[in-house]
Amino acid sequence: MKNLEMVTIIVNDRPVTAPVEAHESLLDFLRNKAGAVEVKCGCNQGDCGTCTVLFQGKAAKSCLILALQAQGKEVRTIKGFSGDFLMEQLQESFVRNGAIQCGFCTPGMLISSYAFLQATPQPAREEIRNAISGNLCRCTGYKKIIDAVEEVALKRTGKQQDKQTTPSSFSEGQEEAKGNYLLLGGG
Amino acid sequence: MINCEYLKPVDLQEALKFASQFADRARFAAGCTNILPDIHTGKLRDCVLIDISDLKELKGINREDDFISLGSATTVTELLNSEIIRNEAPVLWEAASRFADPVVRNRATVGGNLAYGSPASDMSVPLLVLDATVLVQSMEKGIREIPLRNFFVGPGKTVLSPSEVILRIKFEPLSDFKFYYTKFGKRNAMAISIASLAVGIKLGKAIEEARIALGALAPIPLRALRTEEFLTGKPVQTEILEKASEILLSEINPISDIRGSKEYRLELTRALFLRAVNNILSLK
Repeated sequence: MKNLEMVTIIVNDRPVTAPVEAHESLLDFLRNKAGAVEVKCGCNQGDCGTCTVLFQGKAAKSCLILALQAQGKEVRTIKGFSGDFLMEQLQESFVRNGAIQCGFCTPGMLISSYAFLQATPQPAREEIRNAISGNLCRCTGYKKIIDAVEEVALKRTGKQQDKQTTPSSFSEGQEEAKGNYLLLGGG
Repeated sequence: MINCEYLKPVDLQEALKFASQFADRARFAAGCTNILPDIHTGKLRDCVLIDISDLKELKGINREDDFISLGSATTVTELLNSEIIRNEAPVLWEAASRFADPVVRNRATVGGNLAYGSPASDMSVPLLVLDATVLVQSMEKGIREIPLRNFFVGPGKTVLSPSEVILRIKFEPLSDFKFYYTKFGKRNAMAISIASLAVGIKLGKAIEEARIALGALAPIPLRALRTEEFLTGKPVQTEILEKASEILLSEINPISDIRGSKEYRLELTRALFLRAVNNILSLK
């Protein structure tokens, strides 16, 4: 006997109601109940990031959210960005830069990049690398994806800031640490 | 066969009531970044998931007199966005910035990371070095304050009873200490630590006080109390640090697993410890 509960989730501004099991993930709900097959299922355990959606405005891996936790909440999949200027810029830049090969990581990659650029309009390249570190791509080697995101950032702001990636001073880079280590005569 | 139920309490009192009612089957659920993978892999089959992710009582980062207090359902991203954490607890901020990946950090909570009891728990190491206290509550035992260093019992085991929830985590920021945090994994994001370490030193003419916390190097995340004691009052000299690293290695008990062998982890610990101390000394 399955314990089914009804849940209503706002998917791309449209409420979708369906019965779910308690342990069902938002990813299962989106693909199997809401017909949102643009959300891809890769590892189903939070490692690969291809199921990334905007959940209450933040990038989140939909395989790590219970469908029931999303009751009454807003979810945006890649299809729900139609007409969004920043997302369209990103999509065009991905195509122009060859940042898409097989395309399986692309929906998640775009949503992570989108959320990141909204919060960080003038990123350093290293920050872009870090921002997409939860999204695996097995084709591109990431360089072209980073190029694509960087191009959008430059276009939006007209400049790029040279920022330190580690703002706090107490933790220096490992190279420097190694130098100090040698000074003290350690192995 | 998976036999899970889901309950969404309206407030903390109801959450505690549900937990008490279902006892051993109760599982508090917030970010679900461990719970859902555990369900998928069959590790978790029979449970009542009590969703505490929206409980206001478990949210917020505040200053309370000399303490900084975090709600257990604070996400790692909320730590990173907090001026209080960034300015007053940089060692915790640094660990948060290395936690999993930016997308997981939007969901994973501090309390969940502690309650899961992983020997490699990435929130435990900075909080141990800050000597944090965990405030927990259940219907049966009321409110208890547990020093984090007494919180972990074994891999996946803590002193929490099944119906007990973590309310808050609090610690003194220790502005007169200098800290260093490092996490060593196979890649930068989404890596389970091979070893992680946080060191805090209060330096006068000699080492006035030292705190060392380690992750993934023993069945639990732990403080190296004997090494700390040895270092107290000692001058900063190469021989002292070499001796301290010997004591440190005797305090840990790493295993060999797919991420690294025991021998590798022992050597790594020595290197990371000396690197940490040298780094702290180089700070003005």
